[in-house]
Amino acid sequence: MRKIIVPKPKNDSLLAQLGSLYKTFMSTKNKEDLEFDLSLLDWIYPLLILPLSAYINNTHSTYKINSSNRIKTYLETINFPNGIDSISSFQRKIQKHKSYIPISVLRREEGAKRERLESLFSEKVYEILGNISGAQNAVCYPIAELVTNIFEHSKKDVGFIFGQFYPTKNYLDICIVDYGRGFAGAYKEEKNLKLSDIEAISEAMKGNSVKPEKERGYGIWTSKKIICDVLNGGEFIMISGSAGLVSGNKKERLVSFPNFYWQGVIVAYRIPRPTGVLDITPFLE
Amino acid sequence: MKNIKKEKKTSINIANLLAPIISSRDIIDILEKFIKRTDTQSVDLDFINVKFISRSVAHALLLMKENLRTKKAISFVNVNKDVAEMLRAVAANRIVPKSQKPKFNPEKININSLLKEALT
Repeated sequence: MRKIIVPKPKNDSLLAQLGSLYKTFMSTKNKEDLEFDLSLLDWIYPLLILPLSAYINNTHSTYKINSSNRIKTYLETINFPNGIDSISSFQRKIQKHKSYIPISVLRREEGAKRERLESLFSEKVYEILGNISGAQNAVCYPIAELVTNIFEHSKKDVGFIFGQFYPTKNYLDICIVDYGRGFAGAYKEEKNLKLSDIEAISEAMKGNSVKPEKERGYGIWTSKKIICDVLNGGEFIMISGSAGLVSGNKKERLVSFPNFYWQGVIVAYRIPRPTGVLDITPFLE
Repeated sequence: MKNIKKEKKTSINIANLLAPIISSRDIIDILEKFIKRTDTQSVDLDFINVKFISRSVAHALLLMKENLRTKKAISFVNVNKDVAEMLRAVAANRIVPKSQKPKFNPEKININSLLKEALT
């Protein structure tokens, strides 16, 4: 099994995390079994840790870390790499480790139980951000829309979600991952459109849904707007196949990733702690 | 004195049946199957303790209500401000769909330039 050393991000920015993710998977083959060496890491970076978790769960890959590495305990706390998929396990974890959110695995067949697990995740995120009255809609909306896309579009029955708060910096990173067919795959299978990954991401952002109803197709765009505009300076990264969208600081960039391929979709975003009421209604219509 | 016949009604507690935060469209299929099994024509969907519904769920609820209208009279009751706003926005969009697609004019950048920004 090929060994991959996961490089430590240069800093804790989302872009630096993206850089580490890119270097980790660069030149690997899709679905290749790998051993990930996490020994260089000193923090749980969601945009790195959750795709690794999803990849390990979908292949026969493994990981290793020095027992002296300080994040070894944190990885156990968040249940890396398997995650937790039951309400009772989630509740036990957050009781024991009040400021950590475990990696949560959402399974389609669980039905309402899956919904309640996701509900617990959203409520925990809201609590960690301070339970600011009037901000719950803005906090919950992107999680809800981006997770529902896994079960509507990916053709996979499992999704992964994770959140990490940075207490000294007052912001929270959320990552939502699937190992499904990705945007290009969805457009090809549902609309017989052969698009590159960059073109497919572009179509999704323009609201061109693969579903027939005219009023569908706005979930990703509105989520990104809420994160970047309503949530006062949030940042948003979305990766599918060999391309990605990076939004934030009033910039919107499409990027190709040479020698890299993610089977499915990764969304990672950063939101500062809300300070008051946040109105998302202009983005709902 | 006329006897007023009280119409029989079923009330379904949505937070108990589904979850307090409802995000996924496919979950509404569970609700629809539950509604079809009720033996009254009137059904109240009680949203007490439901804190949030996604746009996708609001859309699925409205579609479900329309699809069942010949068999069931469905009402949404005890909706909080956020849930009411979501239902209203989605209903308005169904009647008058957005005519303009979102504006999306990104810059194209290569990975090396992008990652250099991470160092600044």
